[in-house]
Amino acid sequence: MNEAQNTSPASRASRRVLLLDDEVFLLLDLEMTFEMEGFEVLTATNCSEALKLLENAAVDVAVLDVNLGQGRTCAAVAEELTGQGVPFLLHTGDLDRRGELLRDLSGVIIPKPSPSEVVVAEASALL
Amino acid sequence: MDDGRNADDDQAHKAFGRQGGRTSPEDRFEPANKILFEQAMAQTRMAVCLTDPNQQDEPIIFANRAFRELTGYRENEIIGRNCRFLQGPGTDPEKVKAIRQAIDKEEVIVVELLNYRRDGTTFWNALHLGPIYGDDGRLLYYFGSQWDVSNVHTARSDEAHAKTLARELSHRMKNMFAVIGGIVAITGREMGAQTAAKKINDRIQALGRAYEPTLDEASVGSIDVGSAIRSVLEGYPQQKDRMILEGNGMRGNPSIVATLGIVLHELTTNAIKHGALSEDGGTVRVHWAEADGVETLLLDWHEDAVEQGARATPTTGSGLGIVDAILGKARGKLHRDWLPGGLHARLVLPLSAEKQA
Repeated sequence: MNEAQNTSPASRASRRVLLLDDEVFLLLDLEMTFEMEGFEVLTATNCSEALKLLENAAVDVAVLDVNLGQGRTCAAVAEELTGQGVPFLLHTGDLDRRGELLRDLSGVIIPKPSPSEVVVAEASALL
Repeated sequence: MDDGRNADDDQAHKAFGRQGGRTSPEDRFEPANKILFEQAMAQTRMAVCLTDPNQQDEPIIFANRAFRELTGYRENEIIGRNCRFLQGPGTDPEKVKAIRQAIDKEEVIVVELLNYRRDGTTFWNALHLGPIYGDDGRLLYYFGSQWDVSNVHTARSDEAHAKTLARELSHRMKNMFAVIGGIVAITGREMGAQTAAKKINDRIQALGRAYEPTLDEASVGSIDVGSAIRSVLEGYPQQKDRMILEGNGMRGNPSIVATLGIVLHELTTNAIKHGALSEDGGTVRVHWAEADGVETLLLDWHEDAVEQGARATPTTGSGLGIVDAILGKARGKLHRDWLPGGLHARLVLPLSAEKQA
Protein backbone atom coordinates (compact mmCIF):
# COMPACT_ATOMS: atom_id res chain seq x y z
CA MET A 1 0.00 0.00 0.00
CA ASN A 2 2.61 2.50 1.14
CA GLU A 3 4.86 1.61 -1.70
CA ALA A 4 2.15 2.20 -4.23
CA GLN A 5 1.29 5.54 -2.69
CA ASN A 6 4.91 6.55 -2.70
CA THR A 7 5.58 5.70 -6.29
CA SER A 8 2.41 6.87 -7.98
CA PRO A 9 2.60 10.64 -7.24
CA ALA A 10 6.05 10.74 -8.75
CA SER A 11 4.96 9.05 -11.93
CA ARG A 12 1.80 11.14 -12.06
CA ALA A 13 3.71 14.40 -11.72
CA SER A 14 5.01 14.06 -15.24
CA ARG A 15 1.52 13.77 -16.73
CA ARG A 16 0.02 16.88 -18.29
CA VAL A 17 -3.53 17.10 -19.55
CA LEU A 18 -5.19 19.72 -21.76
CA LEU A 19 -8.87 20.38 -21.05
CA LEU A 20 -10.98 22.21 -23.63
CA ASP A 21 -14.57 23.12 -22.78
CA ASP A 22 -16.62 26.28 -23.15
CA GLU A 23 -18.49 25.53 -19.90
CA VAL A 24 -16.32 26.89 -17.10
CA PHE A 25 -18.05 24.82 -14.40
CA LEU A 26 -17.18 21.62 -16.22
CA LEU A 27 -13.67 22.87 -16.75
CA LEU A 28 -13.31 23.64 -13.06
CA ASP A 29 -14.75 20.28 -11.95
CA LEU A 30 -12.53 18.37 -14.37
CA GLU A 31 -9.49 20.42 -13.41
CA MET A 32 -10.01 19.64 -9.69
CA THR A 33 -10.52 15.96 -10.40
CA PHE A 34 -7.45 15.68 -12.64
CA GLU A 35 -5.35 17.58 -10.11
CA MET A 36 -6.47 15.22 -7.35
CA GLU A 37 -5.11 12.41 -9.50
CA GLY A 38 -1.80 14.21 -9.74
CA PHE A 39 -2.11 15.66 -13.22
CA GLU A 40 -0.77 19.01 -14.26
CA VAL A 41 -3.75 20.69 -15.90
CA LEU A 42 -3.95 23.21 -18.74
CA THR A 43 -7.40 24.60 -19.50
CA ALA A 44 -8.85 26.43 -22.47
CA THR A 45 -12.37 27.57 -23.35
CA ASN A 46 -11.79 27.92 -27.09
CA CYS A 47 -9.62 26.52 -29.86
CA SER A 48 -7.21 29.42 -30.25
CA GLU A 49 -6.46 29.40 -26.52
CA ALA A 50 -5.89 25.65 -26.67
CA LEU A 51 -3.65 25.89 -29.73
CA LYS A 52 -1.59 28.61 -28.05
CA LEU A 53 -1.13 26.38 -24.99
CA LEU A 54 -0.04 23.52 -27.23
CA GLU A 55 2.57 25.76 -28.87
CA ASN A 56 4.23 26.38 -25.53
CA ALA A 57 3.85 23.05 -23.77
CA ALA A 58 3.67 19.40 -24.68
CA VAL A 59 0.72 17.49 -23.20
CA ASP A 60 0.31 13.76 -22.65
CA VAL A 61 -3.43 13.57 -23.13
CA ALA A 62 -6.40 15.87 -23.76
CA VAL A 63 -10.15 16.03 -23.14
CA LEU A 64 -11.99 17.99 -25.83
CA ASP A 65 -15.56 19.22 -25.73
CA VAL A 66 -16.74 18.72 -29.32
CA ASN A 67 -19.24 21.56 -29.67
CA LEU A 68 -17.87 24.84 -28.45
CA GLY A 69 -20.94 26.93 -29.12
CA GLN A 70 -22.18 28.92 -32.09
CA GLY A 71 -21.27 26.15 -34.48
CA ARG A 72 -17.61 26.05 -33.45
CA THR A 73 -16.01 22.68 -32.81
CA CYS A 74 -12.78 21.31 -31.41
CA ALA A 75 -11.69 20.03 -34.84
CA ALA A 76 -8.63 22.31 -35.13
CA VAL A 77 -7.29 21.17 -31.77
CA ALA A 78 -8.06 17.52 -32.54
CA GLU A 79 -6.05 17.82 -35.75
CA GLU A 80 -3.13 19.43 -33.97
CA LEU A 81 -3.12 16.68 -31.33
CA THR A 82 -3.38 13.98 -33.97
CA GLY A 83 -0.40 15.57 -35.72
CA GLN A 84 1.57 15.51 -32.45
CA GLY A 85 0.53 11.94 -31.73
CA VAL A 86 -1.23 12.95 -28.49
CA PRO A 87 -4.23 10.78 -27.51
CA PHE A 88 -7.48 12.57 -26.64
CA LEU A 89 -11.04 12.03 -25.46
CA LEU A 90 -13.99 13.60 -27.24
CA HIS A 91 -16.41 14.69 -24.56
CA THR A 92 -19.79 15.28 -26.16
CA GLY A 93 -23.50 15.25 -25.46
CA ASP A 94 -24.26 15.05 -29.14
CA LEU A 95 -23.54 11.45 -30.05
CA ASP A 96 -25.72 11.83 -33.15
CA ARG A 97 -22.85 13.68 -34.70
CA ARG A 98 -20.87 10.48 -34.68
CA GLY A 99 -21.84 10.16 -38.32
CA GLU A 100 -20.51 13.58 -39.13
CA LEU A 101 -17.66 15.36 -37.40
CA LEU A 102 -16.80 12.60 -34.94
CA ARG A 103 -16.16 10.16 -37.74
CA ASP A 104 -13.38 12.39 -39.02
CA LEU A 105 -11.78 12.78 -35.61
CA SER A 106 -9.87 9.84 -34.27
CA GLY A 107 -10.39 10.36 -30.53
CA VAL A 108 -12.15 8.10 -28.06
CA ILE A 109 -15.73 9.28 -27.47
CA ILE A 110 -17.01 9.73 -23.94
CA PRO A 111 -20.65 10.68 -23.51
CA LYS A 112 -21.55 13.90 -21.76
CA PRO A 113 -22.55 14.06 -18.98
CA SER A 114 -20.17 11.57 -17.36
CA PRO A 115 -18.87 11.90 -13.80
CA SER A 116 -15.49 13.63 -13.83
CA GLU A 117 -13.93 10.56 -12.14
CA VAL A 118 -14.95 8.53 -15.18
CA VAL A 119 -13.46 11.11 -17.53
CA VAL A 120 -10.18 11.02 -15.61
CA ALA A 121 -10.17 7.21 -15.62
CA GLU A 122 -10.80 7.10 -19.39
CA ALA A 123 -8.11 9.71 -20.02
CA SER A 124 -5.63 7.80 -17.84
CA ALA A 125 -6.38 4.65 -19.82
CA LEU A 126 -5.10 6.39 -22.97
CA LEU A 127 -1.68 6.97 -21.48
CA MET B 1 -71.93 -8.09 -54.69
CA ASP B 2 -73.38 -6.14 -57.55
CA ASP B 3 -72.98 -8.23 -60.70
CA GLY B 4 -74.39 -5.55 -62.98
CA ARG B 5 -71.78 -3.05 -61.88
CA ASN B 6 -68.95 -5.49 -62.48
CA ALA B 7 -70.18 -6.12 -65.99
CA ASP B 8 -70.22 -2.35 -66.61
CA ASP B 9 -66.66 -2.06 -65.38
CA ASP B 10 -65.61 -4.83 -67.74
CA GLN B 11 -67.27 -3.06 -70.62
CA ALA B 12 -65.52 0.18 -69.78
CA HIS B 13 -62.11 -1.50 -69.65
CA LYS B 14 -62.62 -3.05 -73.07
CA ALA B 15 -63.76 0.24 -74.56
CA PHE B 16 -60.83 2.23 -73.15
CA GLY B 17 -58.41 -0.50 -74.12
CA ARG B 18 -59.42 -0.25 -77.76
CA GLN B 19 -56.83 2.03 -79.27
CA GLY B 20 -56.00 2.48 -82.94
CA GLY B 21 -53.35 4.38 -84.89
CA ARG B 22 -55.03 7.77 -85.23
CA THR B 23 -53.64 10.97 -83.78
CA SER B 24 -56.27 12.34 -81.40
CA PRO B 25 -56.83 10.33 -78.22
CA GLU B 26 -60.50 11.24 -78.05
CA ASP B 27 -61.04 9.74 -81.52
CA ARG B 28 -60.03 6.39 -80.17
CA PHE B 29 -63.12 5.87 -78.11
CA GLU B 30 -66.71 5.07 -78.87
CA PRO B 31 -68.79 8.25 -78.77
CA ALA B 32 -70.17 7.44 -75.28
CA ASN B 33 -66.73 6.75 -73.91
CA LYS B 34 -65.36 9.81 -75.62
CA ILE B 35 -67.78 11.90 -73.57
CA LEU B 36 -66.74 9.96 -70.46
CA PHE B 37 -63.08 10.59 -71.26
CA GLU B 38 -63.67 14.28 -71.78
CA GLN B 39 -65.71 14.52 -68.60
CA ALA B 40 -63.12 12.67 -66.58
CA MET B 41 -60.27 14.75 -67.99
CA ALA B 42 -62.16 17.97 -67.40
CA GLN B 43 -63.19 17.13 -63.86
CA THR B 44 -60.12 15.46 -62.42
CA ARG B 45 -57.96 17.65 -60.23
CA MET B 46 -54.97 15.72 -61.52
CA ALA B 47 -53.17 17.68 -64.22
CA VAL B 48 -52.80 15.38 -67.22
CA CYS B 49 -51.11 15.73 -70.58
CA LEU B 50 -50.29 13.42 -73.46
CA THR B 51 -47.29 13.78 -75.71
CA ASP B 52 -46.66 12.23 -79.10
CA PRO B 53 -43.30 10.44 -79.17
CA ASN B 54 -43.72 9.84 -82.92
CA GLN B 55 -43.48 13.54 -83.75
CA GLN B 56 -40.36 15.68 -83.83
CA ASP B 57 -39.41 16.78 -80.22
CA GLU B 58 -42.37 14.94 -78.66
CA PRO B 59 -44.89 17.76 -78.48
CA ILE B 60 -47.85 17.86 -76.10
CA ILE B 61 -50.98 17.00 -78.03
CA PHE B 62 -53.43 17.10 -75.16
CA ALA B 63 -53.60 18.90 -71.79
CA ASN B 64 -56.61 18.95 -69.51
CA ARG B 65 -58.08 21.85 -67.56
CA ALA B 66 -56.22 20.98 -64.35
CA PHE B 67 -52.94 21.11 -66.31
CA ARG B 68 -53.80 24.59 -67.59
CA GLU B 69 -54.81 25.75 -64.11
CA LEU B 70 -51.68 24.32 -62.51
CA THR B 71 -49.28 25.87 -65.00
CA GLY B 72 -51.21 29.06 -65.84
CA TYR B 73 -50.73 28.56 -69.59
CA ARG B 74 -53.57 28.70 -72.12
CA GLU B 75 -54.23 25.69 -74.32
CA ASN B 76 -52.75 27.27 -77.47
CA GLU B 77 -49.56 27.98 -75.50
CA ILE B 78 -49.27 24.33 -74.49
CA ILE B 79 -50.23 22.20 -77.49
CA GLY B 80 -47.35 21.58 -79.85
CA ARG B 81 -44.62 22.34 -77.33
CA ASN B 82 -42.26 19.96 -75.54
CA CYS B 83 -42.87 19.67 -71.77
CA ARG B 84 -39.53 21.24 -70.97
CA PHE B 85 -41.08 24.72 -71.14
CA LEU B 86 -42.14 24.05 -67.53
CA GLN B 87 -38.52 23.79 -66.43
CA GLY B 88 -36.42 26.67 -65.20
CA PRO B 89 -33.08 27.58 -63.64
CA GLY B 90 -33.96 25.84 -60.33
CA THR B 91 -34.91 22.55 -61.96
CA ASP B 92 -32.49 19.75 -61.10
CA PRO B 93 -30.74 18.70 -64.36
CA GLU B 94 -30.16 15.21 -62.91
CA LYS B 95 -33.90 14.67 -62.63
CA VAL B 96 -34.45 15.94 -66.16
CA LYS B 97 -31.82 13.46 -67.31
CA ALA B 98 -33.63 10.66 -65.45
CA ILE B 99 -36.86 11.59 -67.25
CA ARG B 100 -35.05 11.60 -70.60
CA GLN B 101 -33.62 8.13 -69.93
CA ALA B 102 -36.98 6.73 -68.86
CA ILE B 103 -38.62 8.03 -72.04
CA ASP B 104 -35.85 6.56 -74.20
CA LYS B 105 -36.27 3.19 -72.52
CA GLU B 106 -40.07 3.47 -72.55
CA GLU B 107 -40.17 3.05 -68.79
CA VAL B 108 -42.56 4.41 -66.19
CA ILE B 109 -41.01 7.05 -63.95
CA VAL B 110 -42.20 9.05 -60.97
CA VAL B 111 -40.02 12.01 -60.15
CA GLU B 112 -40.32 15.21 -58.15
CA LEU B 113 -38.96 18.30 -59.80
CA LEU B 114 -39.22 22.04 -59.53
CA ASN B 115 -41.40 23.47 -62.31
CA TYR B 116 -42.29 27.01 -63.32
CA ARG B 117 -45.72 28.49 -63.99
CA ARG B 118 -46.46 31.00 -66.71
CA ASP B 119 -46.06 33.86 -64.19
CA GLY B 120 -42.59 32.60 -63.19
CA THR B 121 -43.63 31.23 -59.79
CA THR B 122 -42.42 27.73 -58.97
CA PHE B 123 -44.10 24.57 -57.67
CA TRP B 124 -42.89 21.10 -56.76
CA ASN B 125 -44.27 18.73 -59.34
CA ALA B 126 -44.69 15.03 -58.62
CA LEU B 127 -44.48 13.96 -62.22
CA HIS B 128 -45.65 10.52 -63.27
CA LEU B 129 -44.71 9.50 -66.81
CA GLY B 130 -45.55 6.33 -68.65
CA PRO B 131 -45.84 4.98 -72.19
CA ILE B 132 -49.19 4.12 -73.78
CA TYR B 133 -49.15 1.39 -76.39
CA GLY B 134 -51.65 0.53 -79.11
CA ASP B 135 -53.17 -2.93 -79.65
CA ASP B 136 -50.30 -3.67 -82.00
CA GLY B 137 -47.73 -2.90 -79.28
CA ARG B 138 -46.61 0.27 -80.97
CA LEU B 139 -45.74 3.23 -78.71
CA LEU B 140 -48.50 5.78 -79.29
CA TYR B 141 -48.28 8.34 -76.53
CA TYR B 142 -46.55 9.33 -73.41
CA PHE B 143 -48.90 9.95 -70.52
CA GLY B 144 -47.90 12.56 -67.98
CA SER B 145 -49.68 13.43 -64.76
CA GLN B 146 -48.57 16.41 -62.69
CA TRP B 147 -49.32 16.90 -59.02
CA ASP B 148 -48.40 19.98 -57.05
CA VAL B 149 -46.63 18.68 -53.93
CA SER B 150 -45.21 22.01 -52.77
CA ASN B 151 -47.06 21.69 -49.45
CA VAL B 152 -45.50 18.25 -48.91
CA HIS B 153 -42.09 19.78 -49.53
CA THR B 154 -42.81 22.53 -47.03
CA ALA B 155 -43.95 19.96 -44.47
CA ARG B 156 -40.78 17.96 -45.04
CA SER B 157 -38.57 20.98 -44.46
CA ASP B 158 -40.63 21.86 -41.37
CA GLU B 159 -39.99 18.35 -40.10
CA ALA B 160 -36.28 18.64 -40.81
CA HIS B 161 -36.27 21.94 -38.93
CA ALA B 162 -38.06 20.37 -35.95
CA LYS B 163 -35.50 17.55 -35.89
CA THR B 164 -32.60 20.01 -35.87
CA LEU B 165 -34.27 21.88 -33.05
CA ALA B 166 -34.87 18.69 -31.04
CA ARG B 167 -31.23 17.72 -31.47
CA GLU B 168 -30.02 21.11 -30.34
CA LEU B 169 -32.37 20.96 -27.35
CA SER B 170 -31.14 17.49 -26.47
CA HIS B 171 -27.56 18.65 -26.66
CA ARG B 172 -28.23 21.68 -24.50
CA MET B 173 -30.10 19.63 -21.95
CA LYS B 174 -27.24 17.18 -21.61
CA ASN B 175 -24.89 20.10 -21.29
CA MET B 176 -27.09 21.57 -18.58
CA PHE B 177 -27.05 18.30 -16.66
CA ALA B 178 -23.28 18.17 -17.07
CA VAL B 179 -22.95 21.70 -15.68
CA ILE B 180 -25.24 20.84 -12.74
CA GLY B 181 -23.04 17.81 -12.12
CA GLY B 182 -19.98 20.03 -12.16
CA ILE B 183 -21.47 22.48 -9.68
CA VAL B 184 -22.54 19.68 -7.32
CA ALA B 185 -19.09 18.08 -7.45
CA ILE B 186 -17.31 21.41 -6.88
CA THR B 187 -19.63 22.28 -3.99
CA GLY B 188 -19.13 18.81 -2.50
CA ARG B 189 -15.35 19.29 -2.51
CA GLU B 190 -15.69 22.79 -1.09
CA MET B 191 -17.66 21.46 1.86
CA GLY B 192 -15.79 18.21 2.33
CA ALA B 193 -18.91 16.27 1.38
CA GLN B 194 -17.68 14.42 -1.68
CA THR B 195 -19.62 11.26 -0.85
CA ALA B 196 -22.93 13.08 -0.56
CA ALA B 197 -22.13 15.07 -3.72
CA LYS B 198 -21.39 11.86 -5.59
CA LYS B 199 -24.69 10.30 -4.53
CA ILE B 200 -26.62 13.42 -5.53
CA ASN B 201 -24.80 13.53 -8.85
CA ASP B 202 -25.46 9.90 -9.69
CA ARG B 203 -29.18 10.44 -9.10
CA ILE B 204 -29.23 13.63 -11.14
CA GLN B 205 -27.40 11.97 -14.01
CA ALA B 206 -29.85 9.03 -13.99
CA LEU B 207 -32.63 11.58 -14.20
CA GLY B 208 -30.90 13.23 -17.14
CA ARG B 209 -30.69 9.93 -18.97
CA ALA B 210 -34.37 9.22 -18.31
CA TYR B 211 -35.36 12.57 -19.82
CA GLU B 212 -32.98 12.42 -22.74
CA PRO B 213 -34.93 10.16 -25.16
CA THR B 214 -38.14 12.09 -24.45
CA LEU B 215 -36.98 15.28 -26.14
CA ASP B 216 -37.25 14.21 -29.75
CA GLU B 217 -40.99 13.89 -29.56
CA ALA B 218 -41.75 16.47 -26.89
CA SER B 219 -44.54 17.84 -29.06
CA VAL B 220 -46.49 14.58 -28.89
CA GLY B 221 -47.30 15.13 -25.23
CA SER B 222 -46.40 11.63 -24.14
CA ILE B 223 -43.11 9.79 -23.95
CA ASP B 224 -41.79 6.41 -25.05
CA VAL B 225 -41.41 4.61 -21.72
CA GLY B 226 -39.26 1.79 -23.12
CA SER B 227 -36.67 4.26 -24.44
CA ALA B 228 -36.53 6.01 -21.07
CA ILE B 229 -35.96 2.70 -19.25
CA ARG B 230 -33.22 1.64 -21.65
CA SER B 231 -31.56 5.03 -21.52
CA VAL B 232 -31.32 4.94 -17.72
CA LEU B 233 -30.11 1.33 -17.48
CA GLU B 234 -27.60 1.63 -20.31
CA GLY B 235 -25.86 4.39 -18.36
CA TYR B 236 -23.81 1.96 -16.28
CA PRO B 237 -21.14 0.95 -18.79
CA GLN B 238 -19.47 -1.56 -16.47
CA GLN B 239 -22.76 -3.45 -16.12
CA LYS B 240 -23.58 -3.42 -19.82
CA ASP B 241 -23.40 -7.15 -20.49
CA ARG B 242 -24.92 -8.10 -17.17
CA MET B 243 -28.23 -6.33 -17.50
CA ILE B 244 -30.68 -8.01 -19.83
CA LEU B 245 -33.32 -5.58 -20.99
CA GLU B 246 -36.57 -6.93 -22.39
CA GLY B 247 -39.48 -4.69 -23.15
CA ASN B 248 -41.66 -3.09 -25.72
CA GLY B 249 -42.37 0.56 -26.21
CA MET B 250 -45.36 2.11 -24.53
CA ARG B 251 -46.58 5.64 -24.11
CA GLY B 252 -46.65 7.38 -20.78
CA ASN B 253 -47.11 10.80 -19.29
CA PRO B 254 -43.84 12.79 -19.19
CA SER B 255 -44.33 13.21 -15.44
CA ILE B 256 -43.37 9.57 -14.81
CA VAL B 257 -39.87 10.07 -16.20
CA ALA B 258 -38.33 11.38 -12.99
CA THR B 259 -39.85 8.55 -10.95
CA LEU B 260 -38.59 5.93 -13.40
CA GLY B 261 -35.12 7.49 -13.45
CA ILE B 262 -34.73 7.46 -9.68
CA VAL B 263 -36.31 4.02 -9.11
CA LEU B 264 -34.17 2.30 -11.75
CA HIS B 265 -31.05 4.10 -10.57
CA GLU B 266 -31.57 3.02 -6.95
CA LEU B 267 -32.30 -0.57 -7.96
CA THR B 268 -29.12 -0.64 -10.03
CA THR B 269 -27.01 1.01 -7.35
CA ASN B 270 -28.36 -1.46 -4.81
CA ALA B 271 -27.55 -4.40 -7.10
CA ILE B 272 -24.02 -3.11 -7.67
CA LYS B 273 -23.43 -2.59 -3.95
CA HIS B 274 -25.25 -5.49 -2.37
CA GLY B 275 -26.98 -7.57 -5.03
CA ALA B 276 -26.28 -9.68 -8.08
CA LEU B 277 -24.05 -7.07 -9.71
CA SER B 278 -21.71 -7.01 -6.71
CA GLU B 279 -20.20 -10.36 -7.70
CA ASP B 280 -18.73 -11.86 -10.84
CA GLY B 281 -21.22 -13.58 -13.09
CA GLY B 282 -24.35 -12.16 -11.50
CA THR B 283 -26.97 -10.74 -13.83
CA VAL B 284 -30.13 -8.69 -13.73
CA ARG B 285 -33.04 -9.37 -16.04
CA VAL B 286 -35.38 -6.44 -16.51
CA HIS B 287 -38.66 -7.13 -18.24
CA TRP B 288 -41.42 -4.60 -18.72
CA ALA B 289 -44.86 -4.44 -20.30
CA GLU B 290 -48.05 -2.50 -20.03
CA ALA B 291 -50.76 -4.06 -17.85
CA ASP B 292 -53.79 -4.83 -19.97
CA GLY B 293 -56.22 -1.97 -20.20
CA VAL B 294 -55.21 -0.06 -17.11
CA GLU B 295 -52.41 2.19 -18.43
CA THR B 296 -49.96 0.89 -15.89
CA LEU B 297 -46.33 -0.09 -16.26
CA LEU B 298 -45.33 -3.47 -14.89
CA LEU B 299 -41.58 -3.86 -14.59
CA ASP B 300 -39.96 -7.00 -13.24
CA TRP B 301 -36.46 -6.77 -11.84
CA HIS B 302 -34.91 -10.19 -11.39
CA GLU B 303 -31.44 -10.43 -9.95
CA ASP B 304 -29.64 -13.67 -10.53
CA ALA B 305 -26.68 -14.07 -8.22
CA VAL B 306 -24.22 -16.91 -8.58
CA GLU B 307 -23.58 -17.26 -4.86
CA GLN B 308 -27.08 -18.32 -3.95
CA GLY B 309 -28.19 -17.04 -0.60
CA ALA B 310 -25.21 -14.81 -0.05
CA ARG B 311 -27.05 -11.64 -1.04
CA ALA B 312 -30.51 -12.55 0.06
CA THR B 313 -30.98 -10.09 2.90
CA PRO B 314 -32.12 -6.55 2.34
CA THR B 315 -29.70 -4.00 3.68
CA THR B 316 -30.58 -0.79 5.41
CA GLY B 317 -29.49 2.36 3.65
CA SER B 318 -29.94 0.55 0.37
CA GLY B 319 -31.32 3.71 -1.21
CA LEU B 320 -34.73 2.12 -1.59
CA GLY B 321 -36.14 4.49 1.03
CA ILE B 322 -36.31 7.32 -1.47
CA VAL B 323 -37.91 4.90 -3.93
CA ASP B 324 -40.79 4.09 -1.59
CA ALA B 325 -41.28 7.76 -0.77
CA ILE B 326 -41.47 8.78 -4.43
CA LEU B 327 -43.66 5.86 -5.44
CA GLY B 328 -46.04 6.76 -2.61
CA LYS B 329 -46.60 10.12 -4.29
CA ALA B 330 -46.85 8.61 -7.77
CA ARG B 331 -49.44 6.03 -6.64
CA GLY B 332 -46.97 3.33 -7.61
CA LYS B 333 -45.50 0.41 -5.74
CA LEU B 334 -42.30 -1.59 -5.62
CA HIS B 335 -42.93 -5.14 -4.41
CA ARG B 336 -39.78 -6.81 -3.20
CA ASP B 337 -38.92 -10.43 -2.64
CA TRP B 338 -35.47 -11.18 -1.35
CA LEU B 339 -34.95 -14.63 -2.83
CA PRO B 340 -31.82 -16.81 -2.49
CA GLY B 341 -30.73 -15.83 -6.00
CA GLY B 342 -31.15 -12.14 -5.29
CA LEU B 343 -33.80 -9.47 -5.33
CA HIS B 344 -36.97 -10.06 -7.31
CA ALA B 345 -38.83 -6.80 -7.49
CA ARG B 346 -41.96 -5.74 -9.35
CA LEU B 347 -42.55 -2.09 -10.08
CA VAL B 348 -46.16 -1.06 -10.66
CA LEU B 349 -46.43 2.49 -11.94
CA PRO B 350 -49.43 4.29 -13.45
CA LEU B 351 -48.55 5.64 -16.91
CA SER B 352 -50.95 8.57 -17.06
CA ALA B 353 -51.30 11.66 -14.92
CA GLU B 354 -55.02 11.00 -14.35
CA LYS B 355 -54.19 7.68 -12.78
CA GLN B 356 -51.57 9.33 -10.63
CA ALA B 357 -53.86 12.09 -9.39
